[in-house]
Amino acid sequence: MSLKQVLREPLAQFVLVGLLLFLLHGWVGPADEAGKRIVVSQARVDDMAREYRAQLGGSPTPDELKGLVDTYVHDEILYREGMAQGLGRDDPVIRRRVLQKYEIILEEKSGQGAASDADLSAYLKAHPADFERPSSVTFDQVFFDASGSPADVERRFEAARRAAERGADPATLGQDSLLPRHVETTSLDRVAQDFGPTFAKGVAEAPVSQWTGPLASSYGAHLVRVTARAPPSLPPLDEVRAAVARDWEGDRRRRALAANYDKLRGDYDVAVKARLTPQLATR
Amino acid sequence: MSRQLMIASLVAGASLIALAGCSKPTPATKAAAGSTAASAEAGAYLPDPNRKHPERVLWGDEHVHTGWSVDAGVSGTTLTPEDAVRFVRGETVKNNRGEPTKLHRPLDWVAVTDHSDGMGTIGELKAGNPDFLANPTTKRWYEMMRQGPEQATAATLELVRAQATRTMPPVIMDEKWVKAAWQKTVDVMEKYNEPGKFTAFIAYEWTSNALTGENLHRNVIFRDNADKTRSLSPLTTWVSGDPATLWAWLANYEKTTGGHVLAIPHNGNLSNGRMFEEQQYDGQPLTPEWAASRARWEPLFELFQYKGQSEANPRLSPTDEFANYELWDTANLAGRAKTPGMINTEYAREALKSGMRLQGKLGTNPFKIGAAGGTDTHTGLAAAEEDNFGGKLASSEPHAGRWNQLFAKEATYVRKDWTLSAAGYTGVWATANTREALWDAMKRRETYATTGPRMTVRFFGGYDFTNADVKGLVANGYAKGVPMGGDLKAAAAGKVPTFLFAAMKDSIGANLDRVQVVKGWVDAAGKTHESILNVGWSDTANRKLTAGKLPPVGNTVDIKTATYKNSIGAPELVGWFKDPSFDPKQRAFYYLRVLEIPTPRWTAYDAVKYGDKMSADVPMVGQERAVTSAIWYNPA
Repeated sequence: MSLKQVLREPLAQFVLVGLLLFLLHGWVGPADEAGKRIVVSQARVDDMAREYRAQLGGSPTPDELKGLVDTYVHDEILYREGMAQGLGRDDPVIRRRVLQKYEIILEEKSGQGAASDADLSAYLKAHPADFERPSSVTFDQVFFDASGSPADVERRFEAARRAAERGADPATLGQDSLLPRHVETTSLDRVAQDFGPTFAKGVAEAPVSQWTGPLASSYGAHLVRVTARAPPSLPPLDEVRAAVARDWEGDRRRRALAANYDKLRGDYDVAVKARLTPQLATR
Repeated sequence: MSRQLMIASLVAGASLIALAGCSKPTPATKAAAGSTAASAEAGAYLPDPNRKHPERVLWGDEHVHTGWSVDAGVSGTTLTPEDAVRFVRGETVKNNRGEPTKLHRPLDWVAVTDHSDGMGTIGELKAGNPDFLANPTTKRWYEMMRQGPEQATAATLELVRAQATRTMPPVIMDEKWVKAAWQKTVDVMEKYNEPGKFTAFIAYEWTSNALTGENLHRNVIFRDNADKTRSLSPLTTWVSGDPATLWAWLANYEKTTGGHVLAIPHNGNLSNGRMFEEQQYDGQPLTPEWAASRARWEPLFELFQYKGQSEANPRLSPTDEFANYELWDTANLAGRAKTPGMINTEYAREALKSGMRLQGKLGTNPFKIGAAGGTDTHTGLAAAEEDNFGGKLASSEPHAGRWNQLFAKEATYVRKDWTLSAAGYTGVWATANTREALWDAMKRRETYATTGPRMTVRFFGGYDFTNADVKGLVANGYAKGVPMGGDLKAAAAGKVPTFLFAAMKDSIGANLDRVQVVKGWVDAAGKTHESILNVGWSDTANRKLTAGKLPPVGNTVDIKTATYKNSIGAPELVGWFKDPSFDPKQRAFYYLRVLEIPTPRWTAYDAVKYGDKMSADVPMVGQERAVTSAIWYNPA
């Protein structure tokens, strides 16, 4: 399982930050870990007392406090001996924990402060495809199904074209269908979803303000008059601020983790001495 | 070539002659058209006659699980609610195996419905949270999860069974995890919900498995935003698996917040007879209050999803040529085999019938269910496209050989992954792409379910429709009748329900074979019946009705290449019909079923892509379909 995926779970992040604070709190106290000397500071004892109160209510007696200190010393000695023997090294739980803590610290560092307008404007400019209003088109269409011979379709189509060019109401021409006869300022993506990709391409290229066709759709043939077309345009930041901020934040997080890794990776010399083909093929 | 505009008098005439031999369509007189007897059900959601009518169907999935669902997480899903939403918006997302994946077309809306039971605990378990490693069961699951996909799947099944049999370790039931995960979920949905553009519902799944794995699950979908929902704690089933406790919780939510919420049950097919049982959860007889509650909170039912369809079963509908489709009818969710009779109370069509029968006794039809479709994906990816099937669990995400993996060893059947159905989207006729407008359309059941393709389907009922109304069908439908999900009031003397229908193929999909009306009714003796009428079909020159049945449309699928041709079928089927056997004293429902021509099933695409040699029992071709919410006829 990828660690990044775990870290993308906000709940995991939330709990781990808490746990991290707790553990840091425990580790910062003792000094001189290298040698066989353990100093139990006043601050640490005060913490023990505070925790005792939080969990059990009431203050510990001096005897109880001494018991807490003894337990702490006992655990610390065994912990140090275990770590010295490398027991933490191959334990996947500890490995995962340390990794998570490390990445959380990085994320926290990278996540300082909200984006400025300049940040967001720059991000918007750098990722126009994610935010731009797609090309849109306004058109009328007259539908002809594919029943009958091609010559018959052609005949019906040409009759309608002549009528439309003479100024006949297009609503009276062709056949009814569930497709709208008039399409108002609609993105080409949407037109492709409704009429099929070939038709959308045709509409994108059709001359403006004249009846044209036949354009083929997924349903049949169409007599089409495009009345307006707008190229893709980048909206002003104010109209897409929330979406830009959302993406900017995600991007910052990913970049910070990746940049840090790249930097560290550069310091390491890695030798993979193994075959990278799986021993057990899936079939 | 076929004539796409089905002339209704032909169709209805044929049906009339075949089935009843009674009247010819009566032309609507001016007076009759002005005094339509059709009207919507009275109540809080009475449509405003001046309301804007929905112009565009909005596609979505009301049933998506992510790695925050405990069973999904244990089985290897790491994707989050954020990944799930980004995927249905059309972005490229890496699946749980690390492969970039993308839908052919985005969806308009989604409801991420992670299980409330154990919600959010799995991240803790995976991270080796000491709370979880202290319990021997969760510790074992933790270890199994780390031993690869097979062990992870085994752990998932153990977990599902523990939930179903109420033997879940206490640490998973601790409410603090649910609440934290819920708030994060709500925050993600708020972040991506863009009124007018894309709707991310705030939702969860309430996952009651009764006591031994009988699927009584419900997706709970809120109309509201974070201000009303973020501070609540989703209801779990730790205290009770009785759906009535959910309804009480929903009522309390509406009362205390002024908000609105509904629930969508699913997988009646895995409920071992309990989804539509005619008794209360504890065995007590049904009461008018119980019926009213169920009807109020559950306006929809999920017909299609990855774990099989719950529309109809061939053993219940032996004359239905198309009911034998994507069936999972061997066991309940925990693998316990069905005993005879259980299937009687599992499928929507039977429930639509029994609901009307119960209405006679209880005053309210408790099973007045409209049509919904949802994937029930547990990968975070709502990928129900046959040529892009995302799989049910991380273990069934696309790779060679997935068809032959074990899904579950049931008591009497070894269920493999090839039985998974790449199915489950809902089309909603909403006036806007917002939580409010979509939810309102769901509440009034102006919805239909599909097995994946996005065909456009319209269906209107009234008393005054004629063949002339086919031109300008949508405007006429709303002006003179009610849309799918609506009610017809008692017929005036001599009036007979008439219907307008229109189905247009998916713009990048297969042509249509036929349109059918499924009618169910209750006779004077309280016995229920059904009939299936073919009302529109392709190639009418060569395909003629014989005793109500049509010759098959044909099959253009080339299994070797997993391709098909639209050289058969019709792009659009439109028409009008009149009930040929109407009895004004009998309660009845009518729903539309639209069938595509045969196309390759996901297994056929896999076989080509991976060179998998599949066994002979694996289906390679299917007729995908849409099923609308019913229109009900209510006698005086």
